[in-house]
Amino acid sequence: MNLLITHDRAYEVLRAAQETGADFAELFMEDTRANNITVTRGEVEDAASSHRHGAGIRVFAGIRTAYAYTADTSRGALLETARAAAAAIRGDGGTCAPFSPRDCRVIPRIPFADVRNDRRVKIARDAYDGAVGYSSEIVQAVTDCIDVDSDILVCNTDGVFARDRRCRMRLFVRAVASDGKSTQTGHEGPGYGMGFEGFDRIDAADVGKRAAECAVTMLHAPECPAASLPVVIDGGFGGVIFHEACGHSLEATSVSRGNSEFCGKLGMKVAADCVSAVDDGTMPGEWGSLRIDDEGTPTRRNLLIEHGILRGYLVDRLGGLRMNMPVTGSSRRQNYTYAPTSRMTNTFILPGEDDDDAMIADCPEGLYAKSMGGGSVNPLTGEFNFSVSECYWIRDGKILTPVRGATLIGRGTQVIARIDRVGKTMTMGQGMCGSISGSIPTNVGQPRIRVSELTIGGKGGNL
Amino acid sequence: MSFETFRDTIFTLACDHGAQAELYYVEGDTFTVRIDRQEVDSYTVAKSGGVGLRVQHDRRDGYAYTESFDNPHELFNKAFDNAGTISASDEHPMNGAQVYQDVREPENPTLSLTAAEKIELAKALERAALAADPRVERVAYDIISTQRASTRICNTRGLDAYQTEGFSYCYVSPVMRDGDELRDDAAYRVNAETTDVEGCAQEAVRNTARQFGGKPVAPGKYRVLWENASLAELLSAFTPMFSAERAQHNMSPLKDKEGRKVAGEVTIIDDPLYPKYPRAFDAEGTPSITKTVVERGVLKTLLHNLKTAKKAGCASTSNASRRSAGSPVDVSPSQFYIAPGEVPYAELVKTLGEGLIIRDVMGLHAGVNAVTGEFSLLAKGALVENGAEVRPVEQITVSGTFLGMLEQTEAVGNDLKFGLPGSSVCGAPSMVFGSLMVSGK
Repeated sequence: MNLLITHDRAYEVLRAAQETGADFAELFMEDTRANNITVTRGEVEDAASSHRHGAGIRVFAGIRTAYAYTADTSRGALLETARAAAAAIRGDGGTCAPFSPRDCRVIPRIPFADVRNDRRVKIARDAYDGAVGYSSEIVQAVTDCIDVDSDILVCNTDGVFARDRRCRMRLFVRAVASDGKSTQTGHEGPGYGMGFEGFDRIDAADVGKRAAECAVTMLHAPECPAASLPVVIDGGFGGVIFHEACGHSLEATSVSRGNSEFCGKLGMKVAADCVSAVDDGTMPGEWGSLRIDDEGTPTRRNLLIEHGILRGYLVDRLGGLRMNMPVTGSSRRQNYTYAPTSRMTNTFILPGEDDDDAMIADCPEGLYAKSMGGGSVNPLTGEFNFSVSECYWIRDGKILTPVRGATLIGRGTQVIARIDRVGKTMTMGQGMCGSISGSIPTNVGQPRIRVSELTIGGKGGNL
Repeated sequence: MSFETFRDTIFTLACDHGAQAELYYVEGDTFTVRIDRQEVDSYTVAKSGGVGLRVQHDRRDGYAYTESFDNPHELFNKAFDNAGTISASDEHPMNGAQVYQDVREPENPTLSLTAAEKIELAKALERAALAADPRVERVAYDIISTQRASTRICNTRGLDAYQTEGFSYCYVSPVMRDGDELRDDAAYRVNAETTDVEGCAQEAVRNTARQFGGKPVAPGKYRVLWENASLAELLSAFTPMFSAERAQHNMSPLKDKEGRKVAGEVTIIDDPLYPKYPRAFDAEGTPSITKTVVERGVLKTLLHNLKTAKKAGCASTSNASRRSAGSPVDVSPSQFYIAPGEVPYAELVKTLGEGLIIRDVMGLHAGVNAVTGEFSLLAKGALVENGAEVRPVEQITVSGTFLGMLEQTEAVGNDLKFGLPGSSVCGAPSMVFGSLMVSGK
């Protein structure tokens, strides 16, 4: 099974989608193969493969849209799906431009289909051994070796006819530490937008060890006190604070409908001078990268904030029509069962000038968040929250003790205005981001930063 | 090719390889319409289908999934190869032919509406929300959705189970302004109640309006009245704790706690036959069984599928699940709820006396750890003094352990409410708890 569709057939489907007067129609086809090996208790516990195949058709009449999808990509089914979408709208009619083919497919150095399962098992086992070998207090580790190879085609009545092949791989480790009385967890999940060769960049045993280290450290940590204090947040997955506090609220999905606290603030000061941030989908081999987005637009490096000034939003076709702005190569979806919308790719705060160590040394009392869990945001009000998976209490400029169970909350605009230090070295972490067009791989990143004040949730007493 | 031909080819291949095979076939259609300012804003129609294959060879299970019914050999080889990779030796039995109870789906007239009628209903919902309060500035989301899904499980041991489910909901989220303050919230109705757009809109507007003027409280320990809908969401996030699979893997605080007191005077029931979303069998074709999971604080049983039950030496509790048709068999509750008590809501507020009402929590996917049983969540609600609500509260976090909180149960309301269904659906009444740590400013 592949995605071979002739120009003539694609044209026929798009024209069927325009039968009720759509001014724009788009066909998205996908053929995705994925593998997942799970090791737990030292044994290979699960091995699953999947093959997803289908197509989605989207039509526009002005800013009104309809979407239909099907797992059957025969001519008859595609035409029926096109007409099902068309039936929902009435427009003044549109044309279909001749296709300009663009083939962005890159063959990975080691395609997943060429890899036998024993190589996946070895990676997952090495990670397991790394975790369990770290300490006798590690009572369990679950490691997943995941690979996904997605062949996509997107064509539309503007003449786009683009293909891409997206390979991603990830090692995910969860470690559980227990002393018989209480239990703590740690996790690590490095991944890349590459073929199987991406695993060469990952030291599986070390990934396991790091997850275990976090779990054991937290096991011996007192509960985090509830407070409102300065917070130093490390690079890597720490960048999730910008992703939640700001990134989602810059997506056209929210902005174009007036549901974001950043509406109408382009060119205005929204953050401290030391804060500049981008969303860059072009970084080769990165977890959140794409060559073209799910509307066929080439990705690019989008400047979001420059020295505290809001410079741009993340805009998809529909959002662009609503906002009268050009698209930014930011349209994404989990798979063909979702209509695409504006999303992030690799989003990070750019390096600044501040010294990492001084951020802690200059802090009389505060929290040092070394590693983050996930979070969420309400873009309308900017209220966000996220959990801290590994953190330390700072007193008199020194690390006093690890603390467990911390949550950080605040409002987006407030928090980015309170970032008062930005370190010199940016690093990224990998995550899965959920929104209305499904769950997609994204990178978050930043250098170490300091926020002058944040509300810290926890159930501990005085330290 | 047809499902039957596909199935027969797979079964023959399994037989030739000395293996067992089980197919998990799902098929469905979906209709969703979103209205914005009385026009169709977006509209989705879909037909979907896929088949998950589980091949058992040498007591080891391999899985493969496809949405393309043209190559049974490829699917079989993939699953067979995956089975060869497995090194864990826990036996995972497969059901043979089973007899099922007749399960009647609740009446749902929304499912038979035409597309045009559903669009009208969604428009009426938006109008109702806009008319409910002059402070409603606009409606951010206004959706009607209907779905039909069927599941068929058949295997080489003679199992052939089939069931269909219909589901519908409406959902509305108003944006309200009062001076400089902007707030949103939402409400929904499901199945037979999907047509109650007036009630749904009123509730959404009430939920939103009561947040105006909210501010944090000083950090400290508070007595808490946790409202039903939000408590049901919290329960839902903690359901992995009740899985025997998790417990057997040292990943649940309930490991080895069967027969012991784990909570206060709380009863938790898992009932796949509960009339809200009844089902005849689970994801392994085991006939549905209703059971009390926690009885007045004592853990009576964990939730089992055939594999965990075999290992534990008990029977499956009919809680096999699959996250999707392509996922390996796991364990999840069905309709899982905290049994309601007899106290009306107004009495609960008086019982609380001094403390906080929790109405909404955010960040459940990150702030809940079902392995440790801990939570720390962004919350909203109201401050209660002298048994009466004083003012709204927001920008606080509540932290604790789920079992520790249940241990301090002081009163259980009579207002059982279920959340939106996923692979499970959870319900809870409003409850009063002795103490929770709260941060704020």
